Amino acid sequence: MILKRIKLVPVLFLLPSLLFLGVFVYIPIVQNFFNSFFDFSVFSQTKEFIGFSYFKELFEDKILMTSFANNIKYAVISVLFQVFFALILATILEDKLFRRIAPTLRVIYFIPVMISISVIALLFSFIYNPQMGLLNSFLDLIGLESLAKPWLGNATTAIYAVIAMSQWQSVGFITMLFIVAIQKIPKDLYEAAEIDGAGRIRKFFNITVPQVKETMFVNVLITVTGAMLVFNEPYILTNGGPGISSMTLSVHMYQLGFIKDNMGYASAVATLIFVVTAIFALIQIKVSGTGKDE
Amino acid sequence: MTKRSVLIKQGERSFILKKILSLLTLLVLVTLVLTACSSDKGATTPTNASVNNNEDIVEIEFFHRWPNEPRKSFYDQKIAEFEDQNPNVKINVDSVLNDSYKEKIRVLVSNDGLPDIFSSWSHSFAENLVSSNRVMSLDDIIKDDTDWSSNIMETQFDGFTFDDKTYGVPFTVDGKAFFYNKSIFEENNIQVPKTYDDLIDALDSLQKAGYETPLVEGLTNTWAISHYLGTIFQRIVDPEILAQDYTTSTAKFTDEGYVKGLEIFQELTSYMGEVSTAIDHEAARNMFAAGEVPILYMQFAEVKLVQDIGDVNIGFFNFPSIDGGKGDQTALTGAPEGWMLGKNAPPEAVEFLKFLTSPETAMEFTKVDGQLNAVKGGITEENANPTSLEAYDILLNSSSTAVWFDNAVDINVADIFMRGGQSLATKQVTPAEIIEEVQQAVQKLQ
Repeated sequence: MILKRIKLVPVLFLLPSLLFLGVFVYIPIVQNFFNSFFDFSVFSQTKEFIGFSYFKELFEDKILMTSFANNIKYAVISVLFQVFFALILATILEDKLFRRIAPTLRVIYFIPVMISISVIALLFSFIYNPQMGLLNSFLDLIGLESLAKPWLGNATTAIYAVIAMSQWQSVGFITMLFIVAIQKIPKDLYEAAEIDGAGRIRKFFNITVPQVKETMFVNVLITVTGAMLVFNEPYILTNGGPGISSMTLSVHMYQLGFIKDNMGYASAVATLIFVVTAIFALIQIKVSGTGKDE
Repeated sequence: MTKRSVLIKQGERSFILKKILSLLTLLVLVTLVLTACSSDKGATTPTNASVNNNEDIVEIEFFHRWPNEPRKSFYDQKIAEFEDQNPNVKINVDSVLNDSYKEKIRVLVSNDGLPDIFSSWSHSFAENLVSSNRVMSLDDIIKDDTDWSSNIMETQFDGFTFDDKTYGVPFTVDGKAFFYNKSIFEENNIQVPKTYDDLIDALDSLQKAGYETPLVEGLTNTWAISHYLGTIFQRIVDPEILAQDYTTSTAKFTDEGYVKGLEIFQELTSYMGEVSTAIDHEAARNMFAAGEVPILYMQFAEVKLVQDIGDVNIGFFNFPSIDGGKGDQTALTGAPEGWMLGKNAPPEAVEFLKFLTSPETAMEFTKVDGQLNAVKGGITEENANPTSLEAYDILLNSSSTAVWFDNAVDINVADIFMRGGQSLATKQVTPAEIIEEVQQAVQKLQ
């Protein structure tokens, strides 16, 4: 009797979060997987079983290929810029030289994280505006008017313009995580290195980088899965256009479901997104070997 | 993900493994709870109008697509008037703009959260909404109150009638024509184009006269592309083939007219400049109103909007005839918009619908907004300026009307054409490639 009661208590503590996770995460995932085997529309609830044909269709979908390529671009640029640049930024902010202004700078870098993405997207649509946008006016001002473009209206630049906005918004968040990690590094390591005559760059590569490895792994995971799921930014700025040039997987999924009224196929795309992000997460956990006690 | 890695990091993996079994049991429990919830939900589906018993106030959910002025204020004022006349009614209003409205109303119609009264385009857009079986048939209401319903142009009900049942009440009528800046045309001695070749000549001479982009359009709004394509296809393709292709079950899109139509559209975009794919229709309209652009393909509904911004001397010409085209060369593209009721709408919502489509409201509406209403004799010198009257005249006297392309064909087909239109403007694809994609899409739909 006593033994049983003891076992029940931790379970009860887990119950609320499990309930929420179950209702809002696990059950929808299972349901979505189930839905991708059916042909059905938003307007009617009758479902027709069609087996794996939507999964076969995935491989012939041209828009899906473009979307996937865009998501990969998103991921690569985000990792380079957010993870590596943010680490450098965090190191600089934690340097003795910047001690006085670091708190102010931290706030400045963090402000974009706190602004709603819809607001930021509207803001950037003004910046990118071809007629009166800040970006083109700025290029004009410094004599580079030949570089001015309708950034969001050009099929080659649209996706990069969208990605650039994301970097601006997210770099502060990742920097913050790195700052916390750097602050946890024991100071005696740096002192020992200084006694051995190590400079700033040497200290960065031999102490900071290995010590924040765990955080770096988490950050890579956040940015890569985030890049695979990205929806708001392209949806608000370009709606995937011009043509399909800035389409991402999530935007494609949304449009299939709610505009083209093809819920079953949209579910199949959602399943694909889930599988892709899960694979990325597994690879990263495996490669970085996190979790092993050292 | 962070949470998980932290957990594992703390070396609690074995603990987790031991617990997995009990967690699974819990998941089963959760599923059971959820199924119980969902079966519960079916039994207590409420109507949208929640009646507050204490004060007997009926709430009506009202959803329209004009969060922009002057219409927003107009409807806000009408709501206030109706609430004054009917103290037991409270109207909750919500509105989002065009493309967003199309998406949101589709989501709303898929469940019982459908508003009591909402705006809708005609034809396939309306048909889609009606196919949900959540839209109220209005036949009885129209028959029972002929005092009210006989005021509305009978012809305009067509777009809301499916299987001999009417589901919507038309409120505005509209047509699409090229608006041109009369002063610029006169200054440069340019004649109003009658044929497509004339139009190209006119555009060329305007370019020579220093207007770098003599024609413009906000191509980020895909509906603007569909308006162009709909008219061009109507002019070129044989009406019988067109009707066959616009019906999803018989669609083929093998006529060479479609490729030619897309080529014409691409030629027109070459006059619009690089900017066109980065701006919306509103920006294009502002450029026209500011006199920067001499020609713009616009709806009559926009006359007042242009006049409010700038002092442009507006003239109209219908989309010019295309040499060798098999369609009616003087047809006008345009369709009515109207109101629909949700299946569970209370009687008060019906009254509100009649109030919104009464001759008085219509007269005042055109005066405030400038858009042409669907009430018989609803446009006079009293509530419309000469430019709008000229537009109304073109509309009433057009040889036939063609509906908006995105309302006429399946949305999957329309989407390929509209996105294809953007890609044509940025020169990413060829017309033949788009048609090939369309042909594959219609095969899948059948």
